[in-house]
Amino acid sequence: MDVYDLIYKFFASIFPYQWAQSTFIIRAAIGLSLLTVLCGAMGIMVVNFRMAFFSDTISHSAFTGIALGLLLGINPWLTLVLFGLLIGLGIIRVKRHTELSTDTVIGVFFSTVIAIGIAIISARRGLSRDLQSYLFGDILTISEPELTAMILLFILSAVYIWLTYNRLLFVGLHENLASSKGINTTFYEYSFAALLAVVVAFSIRAVGLLLVTALLILPAASARVLARSSGKLLWWAIVLGALSGLLGLVASLAIDIATGAAVILVASGFFLLANLWRLFAKSRQI
Amino acid sequence: MSLSVHFQNVSVIIDGRKILDAINTEIPSGSVTALIGPNGAGKTTMLKVILGKISYLGNVIYKSDNKGELAVPRFGYVPQSMDFDRGQPMTVLDFLVMPYQRKPLWLGRRGNFVAKAKENLKIVESLHLTNYQVGKLSGGELQRVLLASALCGDPNLLLLDEPVSGIDIAGERLFCDLLESIQHQRRFTMIIVSHDLSVVSNHADHVICLNKSMICQGSTGEVLTPANLQVVFGHHTEIVRNPHLDAAERRGQEGKTDGRL
Repeated sequence: MDVYDLIYKFFASIFPYQWAQSTFIIRAAIGLSLLTVLCGAMGIMVVNFRMAFFSDTISHSAFTGIALGLLLGINPWLTLVLFGLLIGLGIIRVKRHTELSTDTVIGVFFSTVIAIGIAIISARRGLSRDLQSYLFGDILTISEPELTAMILLFILSAVYIWLTYNRLLFVGLHENLASSKGINTTFYEYSFAALLAVVVAFSIRAVGLLLVTALLILPAASARVLARSSGKLLWWAIVLGALSGLLGLVASLAIDIATGAAVILVASGFFLLANLWRLFAKSRQI
Repeated sequence: MSLSVHFQNVSVIIDGRKILDAINTEIPSGSVTALIGPNGAGKTTMLKVILGKISYLGNVIYKSDNKGELAVPRFGYVPQSMDFDRGQPMTVLDFLVMPYQRKPLWLGRRGNFVAKAKENLKIVESLHLTNYQVGKLSGGELQRVLLASALCGDPNLLLLDEPVSGIDIAGERLFCDLLESIQHQRRFTMIIVSHDLSVVSNHADHVICLNKSMICQGSTGEVLTPANLQVVFGHHTEIVRNPHLDAAERRGQEGKTDGRL
């Protein structure tokens, strides 16, 4: 009996409901929980480094990465991750060695990768049908090997965030000040961009490439509204991320809508509630 | 222990344009050295050279004050009116602990780093700001917190880039007096970039005049002459003592009991 059989049995024994007997729902719940927690934590730095447009470019580069994989007959998930990584590191490299503003550099990469993707698809018309599932994602079809890869990515990312959280926040605050304290800002910028590119590529599986940036930004943005310290910021982001994931999955099963969209709508709801709560708290102070 | 900084034929060229041209100078150990010059003279670039944030030709060497042996700098840096994301939830204590503590802040702060942060906040007379949000601080409060942050690293070389720009006159005097008092206690070498010649004449003991290349250098009295200032700034500039302020300062000195300068 393998590890997954044990996990399925464990879920079936502690949750006496019909859904807990379906292995695909258990895999989706685990995968979504891991990804939403991870995106919550990574999203703090995305907001801190003002990298929303960067992550959008990585997710849209996935479109080209997948098209390349389908065209060359290589596993599209592999080309998706590698192409995203290449674009992410390319943006950081050009940004650091040019006088152009960051959003201009990202804009150049964004339009170029989209154009390459459209060129490939227009040359091979049969490919567009295969690309549809990547646009919207489908966590309910996640396989055991994919879930294993997600678990490994989660462990790697958790170790990275554990080791770099304080310094990444400080580099995002003021790069020169961080340098003066002996922090290697180049290492932190490249390593974070590389990890973010991989996380974005995996998150496409859950919510699709159109909604990946929202998965990163929304829990972190809500956490910024609620938290009053750098430490609590992470806890709020991962709790809101995980709740969005699980409530979104339940809602998508209950009313039969796309899981990715349901997750993002729940996260948007939390953002609205966080801001209403902040307004209420402010009005009580006056 | 402080150190001296030796610039040996240092040039900075960006896109074919010389920003600094063959600078040779020694910043004395334990001194308060002011870098002055017009806009675009290369003052901030010189700080970036020291911080290693820009590539340059030539050598920058640090020597310990007593033996003249090569020394390793521990930088403290106070940037010019820091532009940062003010919406980020971060207390002053988080800000001071963050660059030094390895344990992630979401697992709490270590007692020794908290104690050191509070000790330095007390030195800059800002202990009451401990739990304030960094983004909500006024210009003067932020500069004092940045100074506390610089002191947390036990610097032997403190670099300040226009530290009092954007602060009102009262805040400027408070900050400069604090700085002078701390420098007298800790004896680190201090390099200050300033446009404000009154700050330079009152607080620096060594001045370097720059305009891409070295114009002149020496003690404050030797350098801040009308002739030198005309060469640096291109028009007649003179430092005139205000007799009313001087009298007020003398009265203040007589009333002081803590022995500060």
